[in-house]
Amino acid sequence: VSGQEFTAVHRDALQEVANVAMGEAGAKLAELLDTFVRLSVPRILISDAAEVPDTLGKLLEPHNAVTAVRQSFLSRIQGEAIVLFGEAGCAELADLMGYDGVLAPSERREVLLDIANVLVGACLGGVFRQFGLELGFTAPSLLAEDTPAQRLIRADTLDWSRALLVEVNFRLEQGAFSSHLIVLLPERSIDRMRESLDQIIAAL
Amino acid sequence: MRNLMPDRSELLEFAVDRANIGIFALDREMHVLLWNRFMADHSGKESAEVIGRNLFDCFPDLPRRWLEKKVAGVFLLKNFAFTSWEQRPYLFRFHHGRPVTGGIDYMQQTCTFVPVKNASGEVSAVCVTLVDATDTAIAYRQLERAMATVRENARCDGLTGVFNRRHLEERLSEEFYRSRRYGGPLSLVMLDIDHFKRVNDVHGHLAGDEVLRIVAARVSEAVRASDIFGRYGGEEFGVILPGTDIAGARVVADKLRELVSGQPLAYKDVGLEITVSCGVAQVAPEHTTYEEVIRLADTALYRAKREGRNRVCA
Repeated sequence: VSGQEFTAVHRDALQEVANVAMGEAGAKLAELLDTFVRLSVPRILISDAAEVPDTLGKLLEPHNAVTAVRQSFLSRIQGEAIVLFGEAGCAELADLMGYDGVLAPSERREVLLDIANVLVGACLGGVFRQFGLELGFTAPSLLAEDTPAQRLIRADTLDWSRALLVEVNFRLEQGAFSSHLIVLLPERSIDRMRESLDQIIAAL
Repeated sequence: MRNLMPDRSELLEFAVDRANIGIFALDREMHVLLWNRFMADHSGKESAEVIGRNLFDCFPDLPRRWLEKKVAGVFLLKNFAFTSWEQRPYLFRFHHGRPVTGGIDYMQQTCTFVPVKNASGEVSAVCVTLVDATDTAIAYRQLERAMATVRENARCDGLTGVFNRRHLEERLSEEFYRSRRYGGPLSLVMLDIDHFKRVNDVHGHLAGDEVLRIVAARVSEAVRASDIFGRYGGEEFGVILPGTDIAGARVVADKLRELVSGQPLAYKDVGLEITVSCGVAQVAPEHTTYEEVIRLADTALYRAKREGRNRVCA
């Protein structure tokens, strides 16, 4: 039921909240990395959990191998953020993140975990601040390395029936590095987010 | 009556100081603001020695550029940051105090950097918790080693240490399809010890085992790096020869036969005269499975046996 109650009005409100948050996040990431950062306008989708793997496959090039990092966030609204990386541009970004020299495989993983953490924190922090919520995070961990996008998540391992997907694309000015941020919310958290959006809409 | 219970702030201070994890805090300029008992005990520097000082002055070994960026990120993004022992085994060179570690030099550490926000929502400090993950790291390495052993055992013959039949067949199958797809000759030598049953009957099974080990060792040393040698079963061995045609395979087989037959095998004080017979086959276009090549080499091997042993047939 809750999925239906998440109306077009809620969706528009969330789009606004997300746009503001990504604007802030982009500016902060640019300051941190000392380079121009482009964050796409977030795409918001509500999906049946069973369709999440296919949806991920459609958002990305379904057969391109991606590396994925996952991170849980905790507050009244809980969920999971997944950051997907292509192959290119990791070394360049590593240098911006304070790594020296050629990267060993474990360092490459650490860079990706770092980037994922920074992206998730900047983007979600901005959204949830507008809801008046302070987020906690678990440590990021590798979900998959060089795996086709639609095989990242198996529908039967999701323990909820509907999911809210927020997709943001992150690129460096030079264009070499790009990644996608996807936020998955379980049904209970979708309900609570709708309540928070109702408050924002009422305050307008 | 005096209240002997500690108040809440005393309890908090105690808990932070005596928690069995490292807790410390830094300001924007990397000055140490808090340094709990765990950090003092493991670093050998008391809180009085480090508080108010720059962290890198106290610990010059720390990865400065990276750590400064990490802490700057927490201030700027008002966000958590993490490090895991799996990617970066440690920040501080702390001894772990464990006697058996399997090559783990320092305490393995997992850290969480938490922004400390003031009333106006700005980050005024970073609080770091450091957890000792050495036990996990040791268990993980032991597991990895065990897995490597399991993988090794799964493809090796317990008695002779050379590849076992399953691995030999897997490799033959791979080479078979590679040869079909990309061309290039592929040959197989089956090598069988002559009158092996007699060795067992006359000298006992231990002698038989020793003969198998010596034959395997002699052949192992003689084959090229690209060849794949293993024990097919009983007293039968196989050598896969990628990139080799039947003529080349005959030469190899004859060399191996001479190597085993030419010199008696020493068992205790006895010199055992051991000979071997070989069957050789090459993959041909009409073969549809690698098993056909084995069958062909086996047929040649039985002909070598019938024709008087200690010889090579193709």
